[in-house]
Amino acid sequence: MDEEEYQKMIKRCVRCSVCKWIPQVQIKSQKYASGCPAIDIYNYHPYSGGGKIILALAYEMGRIKPSEELRDIVYKCTVCGNCAVACKYMSTLEPIEIMMKLREKLVDIGCGPMPQQKTYIEAVKKVNNPYNEPHEKRMDWIPDDIILDPKAKVLYYVGCTSSYRRKEMAIAAARIMNEAGVSFNILREDEFCCGSPILRTGDSNTFEEILNKNLDIIESKGIETVVFSCAGCYDTFKVDYPLSRKYDFKVKHTVELFDELIESRQLQLTNNVPITVTYHDPCHLGRNAERYEDWDGDVVPLMPLISINIPPKPKRTGSKGIYDAPRNILKKIPGLKFVEMERIQEYAYCCGAGAGVKSAFPEMAIKTAKIRIEEAEDSGADILVSACPFCSTNLQDGIMDMNSKLKYFDISELILMALGLEPEKLKQATTEGA
Amino acid sequence: MLGKEILKEFQDIVGVENIDDGDVMTNAYAYNWCIEFVNYMEDKEPIPFSPIPKAVILPSSTEEVQKVVQLCNKYGIKFKAQSTGLGPWNQPSTDNSVIMDLRRMNRIVKIDVKNLYAVVEPYVSGAQLQAETMKYGLNIHMPGAGPMASTLASHTSMAGPGFTSPQTGYSARNVLGTEWVLPTGEILRLGSLGLKNEPDWYSGDGPGPSLRGIMRGWVGTKSGLGVFTRVATKLFPYPCHTEYVLKGHSPIYDFKIPNFIRAYVVDCKNFKHLEKSFIRIEEEEIALICSHMSSYAIMAIFSYTIESLMDKIAFGSMKSPLLIVIAARTKREFDYKQKVMNHLMEELNLINIIGTKYEPESLFYAECLRTNLGYHGFIATGGFQSAKGQCDSAALCLRAEMKNKPLKQKYIEKGVIANDFGEGAWMTSYESGHFFHMEAPTFFDQTNEESVKGMGEYMKESNQMDLLKHLGVPFFIEGDQLHNHWGPHLMNYHNWLRKIKEAFDPNGVSDSGFYISGNEGDV
Repeated sequence: MDEEEYQKMIKRCVRCSVCKWIPQVQIKSQKYASGCPAIDIYNYHPYSGGGKIILALAYEMGRIKPSEELRDIVYKCTVCGNCAVACKYMSTLEPIEIMMKLREKLVDIGCGPMPQQKTYIEAVKKVNNPYNEPHEKRMDWIPDDIILDPKAKVLYYVGCTSSYRRKEMAIAAARIMNEAGVSFNILREDEFCCGSPILRTGDSNTFEEILNKNLDIIESKGIETVVFSCAGCYDTFKVDYPLSRKYDFKVKHTVELFDELIESRQLQLTNNVPITVTYHDPCHLGRNAERYEDWDGDVVPLMPLISINIPPKPKRTGSKGIYDAPRNILKKIPGLKFVEMERIQEYAYCCGAGAGVKSAFPEMAIKTAKIRIEEAEDSGADILVSACPFCSTNLQDGIMDMNSKLKYFDISELILMALGLEPEKLKQATTEGA
Repeated sequence: MLGKEILKEFQDIVGVENIDDGDVMTNAYAYNWCIEFVNYMEDKEPIPFSPIPKAVILPSSTEEVQKVVQLCNKYGIKFKAQSTGLGPWNQPSTDNSVIMDLRRMNRIVKIDVKNLYAVVEPYVSGAQLQAETMKYGLNIHMPGAGPMASTLASHTSMAGPGFTSPQTGYSARNVLGTEWVLPTGEILRLGSLGLKNEPDWYSGDGPGPSLRGIMRGWVGTKSGLGVFTRVATKLFPYPCHTEYVLKGHSPIYDFKIPNFIRAYVVDCKNFKHLEKSFIRIEEEEIALICSHMSSYAIMAIFSYTIESLMDKIAFGSMKSPLLIVIAARTKREFDYKQKVMNHLMEELNLINIIGTKYEPESLFYAECLRTNLGYHGFIATGGFQSAKGQCDSAALCLRAEMKNKPLKQKYIEKGVIANDFGEGAWMTSYESGHFFHMEAPTFFDQTNEESVKGMGEYMKESNQMDLLKHLGVPFFIEGDQLHNHWGPHLMNYHNWLRKIKEAFDPNGVSDSGFYISGNEGDV
């Protein structure tokens, strides 16, 4: 969003509060009508998507000054995108883009990001991951029996969280690809943070440096497809990188790849897995994983005050997220009963971890996770499944915190079970995170 | 900001985390939709901010509301209560005011299936309550503002016509037992809730005290006469099967259309025939929705983007359109309603465009059932507001529309409001034609100062026209200035209204910016 569009758009919120809920026509109960973790937890209107648009306007008009109060409200948001889906059901407002622009402005004047976020940004600059772990330990997750192919055209981009914190996801993804005969390689010491946790804080300059470094490396290796098990890395490569720099390789999340492999019978799910499962749509794999489409049309004034776009300007509504692939996989696992939660797909409730919230506001992250876990429990499931290491960490933290009987697995672990392979339990549930 | 000692007293009531008097919070609460042209109409700078409240308070119970009100009386601070908060009526009229955001009061207290009412707190939205009542095969009345709006606010404090008004009436008519924190801090329980023995929510008017006229009258007091903390509202049979299946993705969800629902869009060609058709259809008591809209509005309710709205320009040729939706729970009921509609179409020489010239998205039917049609008003320019707001006979409502058309056209030609062919109107019947409501939605651009000013001028002129041409009282006659202007023409009602205000709010703490002050010029 350029400055001119931003200045115009921040005047257009009608304060209808639609952004606080899931799309109105999708509301099926009082309990699960809400869609915004920030307003659910902090209650005051400025925590909502619309409220942040008002803050942006008040800031631009000089009515409010940069302050800790402003900064905290702006950063107590997981950038999950529900507000944008709910608002853009009818409107053309972009609450998330406005909020990201506001974060950028706060970073530019030194008011943002949060101190904890500054710490992990420094860690990324120093050791290439937000956890401040030694770079040389990035490959420690790889078991000896994993087969890598240095000549492969498929690159598995492991990501910081799977490399250091959710190793079971990386191992499962690698084993499944080996099992299916997919020839792949990893970047080893050339893999660095994708920049997602930095971008979401509004530090766009640092992010720009990272994306260029990453793209230079991948493009130099003649890679055709990059596969991600991390929804955050996937979203960042798929949606955010092309806004700064286009690239030619394909990107896929592992659920897309595995769905294709199952469909083509390269993977055969034969083992009975008699469990009842519900699936949590990660925001980065769902509504936010919708690419911006190029539009080179004209804004044509039709009559005073009314202009139309010719051709119509594509609107990101969350409808093009990756929703079918994980559900297809789950429905093909023998013996597995799949049940849905009430808030799913583009109006799924966030896990609470994203956009630096887990590090800066851990209490908000946990409260949000607990809301989602309760919804999963209400679905009748025994197992909560997702496809994102951030969601994994935060939801497992939530499960522990509330002593839930629910168990959490990454979807790749269920595939391992269905393949008859013993999933390695390397869960290191930790509250650290970006 | 509040003084430290006063802040501490408020904190003791609601907890430290539930009051905020910081610059950021209070400035954000000063913003609202349409406040820019309201400011202009009051000779203020046309910006979308009202006076900044001293603090924002989030009470969680009637008792906390009561204590906040008592503290406001003690220190002479005004209060403005808001729930879901859409519109300028939620804004303080003075910087000596606190906002009570009732968001934490969000419980559905009771759904009485047998006696057909639900009891809710302020922050239960229409969509939430409807979702819960649907589980019992029951429905609620929702205002045209939409399903995201507070049920309590609409029923106790605002006007409240809705798309399903032919069946579900008008908010004021659906109020039953009510819990009311008066401006003095006393709690008054109205209707059967006020009985000494076995108080319950089932009636608003008796046995027990009936003060519906004072409590809200026709258009509500907009927090100008205390705070309503719980209210019982009538429930109605859900109009069709409650199975609700919505697949696909936003925004064009694929709705499994219930078996027994059908929409009609007819062009009545002229106002005279529209009036006759409207009344005849309503006389038969079969319509879930029976709304007259401009052809432009008909285009809008079937559209989800401005581009797709313009695709439907063929609708623009209609002169006096009427949207009718019938729905039934059984085949027998549906057959009957269709038969009656067929008979009426023949009698009135009307042709249904739906199914012949146009087939709406299945989502349209979901939006009819969930009262989401009003939201389409934002498609054109992003901003709209209604002039007029008559509540009267069909003839008077239509006369108001006819008279408004050239006025609107004048402002369209100035380029300050959007071109809806000058027709922009929405009219519905209440309770199967018992009485009617008309308003004139008008599209303006809130980011354009000339448009904002133009909208303000148009609203002023429209109000004045209603007065001079005897078109009834528009629903946005609010605040001292407008009441003082209208009162002398209407049996000096404003003096009586002011006496009510004085009696109920002797210290003038319940912010009267959108009601009337006890002492003129108090605000």
